[in-house]
Amino acid sequence: MGELVVVLLRCTDLRPGVDPLTGAISRDPRASALSASDAAALEHGLRIGELLGKRVLAMTAGGPETEAPLREALALGAEVRRVPVTASYLEELAADERALAQALVAALQGEVPDLVLCADRSADRGTGALPAFLAHELGCAQAPGLVSLELTPDGLVAERRLDYGRRERMLVPLPAVCSVEGAGVRLRRASLPASLQAATAAVPVADVAVKPGAVRVVRAGPSRPRPRHLPAPTGTSRERLLALTGALLSHEPPTVVGPVGAEEAADELLDFLVRQGYLSEARTGWAVT
Amino acid sequence: MTDVIVVGAGPAGASAALTAARAGLEVVLLERGPFPGSKNAYGGVVYGRVLDDVLPGWYDEVPVQRWVTRRSTMVLTDTQALTVDFRSTAWGEAPYNGCTTFRADFDSWLANKAVEAGAQLVTSTVATGLLVENGVVVGVTTDRPDGDLRAKVVIAADGVNSFLAKQLGLLPKTDAAHLTLGVKEVLSLPREVIDERFGVRGDEGVDVEILGCTRGIAGGGFVYTNKDSLSVGVVVSIDGLAKSGIRPEELIADLKAHPAVAPWVQGAEVKEYAAHLIPEGGYDHLPELSAPGFLVTGDAAGLCLAAGIWLEGVNFAIGSGLAAGKAAAGHVQRDEPLTSYKQDLEGSFVLQDHKRLRKAPGLVLSDRVQQQYPGMIADLVEGMFTVTNPTAKPGVLTLLRRSAKKHGVKLRHLAADGLSGGRTFR
Ligand SMILES: Cc1cc2nc3c(=O)[nH]c(=O)nc-3n(C[C@H](O)[C@H](O)[C@H](O)COP(=O)(O)OP(=O)(O)OC[C@H]3O[C@@H](n4cnc5c(N)ncnc54)[C@H](O)[C@@H]3O)c2cc1C
Repeated sequence: MGELVVVLLRCTDLRPGVDPLTGAISRDPRASALSASDAAALEHGLRIGELLGKRVLAMTAGGPETEAPLREALALGAEVRRVPVTASYLEELAADERALAQALVAALQGEVPDLVLCADRSADRGTGALPAFLAHELGCAQAPGLVSLELTPDGLVAERRLDYGRRERMLVPLPAVCSVEGAGVRLRRASLPASLQAATAAVPVADVAVKPGAVRVVRAGPSRPRPRHLPAPTGTSRERLLALTGALLSHEPPTVVGPVGAEEAADELLDFLVRQGYLSEARTGWAVT
Repeated sequence: MTDVIVVGAGPAGASAALTAARAGLEVVLLERGPFPGSKNAYGGVVYGRVLDDVLPGWYDEVPVQRWVTRRSTMVLTDTQALTVDFRSTAWGEAPYNGCTTFRADFDSWLANKAVEAGAQLVTSTVATGLLVENGVVVGVTTDRPDGDLRAKVVIAADGVNSFLAKQLGLLPKTDAAHLTLGVKEVLSLPREVIDERFGVRGDEGVDVEILGCTRGIAGGGFVYTNKDSLSVGVVVSIDGLAKSGIRPEELIADLKAHPAVAPWVQGAEVKEYAAHLIPEGGYDHLPELSAPGFLVTGDAAGLCLAAGIWLEGVNFAIGSGLAAGKAAAGHVQRDEPLTSYKQDLEGSFVLQDHKRLRKAPGLVLSDRVQQQYPGMIADLVEGMFTVTNPTAKPGVLTLLRRSAKKHGVKLRHLAADGLSGGRTFR
């Protein structure tokens, strides 16, 4: 067993600007912050680190803009490290989470953590796949999507939501990768003296590089359809409610795709996005290399 | 214990921290937002010449949207618009005059200058009160654990409605009569469309100040061009707004629908809405600017200049902030009294302009200027340019009498206001 609890943080602009005319998204690096899930992961890490008497390392992959949230972690008593990634938006879309997991593990410089914590999904384009890749790279157990994490005499007990309001309690063998929801914790705030000290501290940068992903994104359209102007509501409140809910209108039936091969499935998806207004380009304009 | 605590990293606080740090003082700059400017709302134009001495060549690096090369003053009625339009190519070249800029960009840039000079910026931290011992301010309390911080001087640059200045009794608890509410929308519009509609090119921009667009509530409106958006808003008296029962966003909707403004904003989409108070009491309602261990600067001290067609807050915040930092340095290093701050301001544009224009807020926000003159002037000009053949042209005096009568303006009031306007703006 190692001597370390690692918290992997995703620092990003939580309120990116969306151009209402084009749908283009702009992120402000100054607004880089932790999502509720990331903040919860850090809190779990600090608490469990204290209970186990182990060092806590908060690490992020990103550009220099991620240093402000890392300094907040530093002020809370964690060690910090940054894996340098300065990807453009397009490169990020193509990012290979397995390559990222490998880079993060490499940045641990051979130290094997007892526990790795991260958010259940990243706030900006979360697939939730990173924890699984991490567990694979570290060869340890994984417990994703947790709402609580308690150290008991039996070991680490985790809880997660199931359908229909039920919960599942699990005993998590260590070492493990746990991803958590932004719930079930009271966040601590760094003291003023610690914040003052951390404000000017250098954030160590790991000497590793993230390998480029296998996919190359040529271009990306707006992330949502352009806003449409709707006529002012007319009619009685009942009629308006019906119009709003579409209760008595016929709907597009669900589309069952497949079983088909990967290419046809991709074509179907692209057609769907064009039909819904997410893509305006003809399918042939989309090259995936 | 540090030398100086500056509360608020707006233009006033960043400037105070800059001069104090440059003088060699240990400075902590506290900001409640996650980064400077993140919480700050204003109209859109910064007049940067105040930085000529402290940051020479500032215009080469300031995060500008557009340089204002065209300034228009508009008088509106429901159906009419009279515009006095001025443009100058000189304003599009160094050292420039004013620029449109976003506060998140501008405030971050200026605060970074203070940090480069050695000030320590601590964000996401609210100063919750002053530490006072034997009548002397000795520090602040903050919302962080173990959050008391002591200093030889505290500079309150926490903006309008300053809680710190109120704690010392320098400002009244409530003062609606000397505050206005500014509301604005940022509207997305492609850059080429803005260039075409406003007759500008490249990084040239337009500043339009508007009178008569607030349904008779004392105040005015504005339209500013950014790179690929417009800032459209109104500034209105709080008392008047409350009495009218009108919601501020209705006033912006009115302005956008006015026949003179609608073609500018057609097809634009709202990107952002913001509202903020503005101190408009002017010289006659300024608080004491210092107390033992304490200075107050920028909007916190009511130093925004709001005199009709001039709404200059940022440059006055910078001017007063620079002086506050200097006074703090004199106090810490040479034991000079903090009252030197006010003397310094009296010798600078900050209090000189305020003093000279002390009657302007009262005059510009008066009922006649707000409710009667826009219609009277617009009718007068409409009369002058309406060709009424076969009837001969009426004389200007006749038209003036006619429109004054129509709008209930007595000529002696007009003369008196003209005289007092002449005196105020001389
Ligand atoms: C609608 C509108 C339009 C305007 N248009 C213009 C214009 O076009 N040109 C112009 O020059 N001026 C304009 N102004 C005025 C201008 O915005 C202000 O005069 C100027 O911002 C004052 O600067 P300041 O640094 O004193 O205060 P602010 O800019 O208000 O900065 C105060 C700072 O203190 C921080 N703060 C407050 N309390 C605390 C606390 N307790 N602890 C820590 N931090 C705190 C705030 O987050 C903020 O960053 C406009 C104002 C409004 C509302």
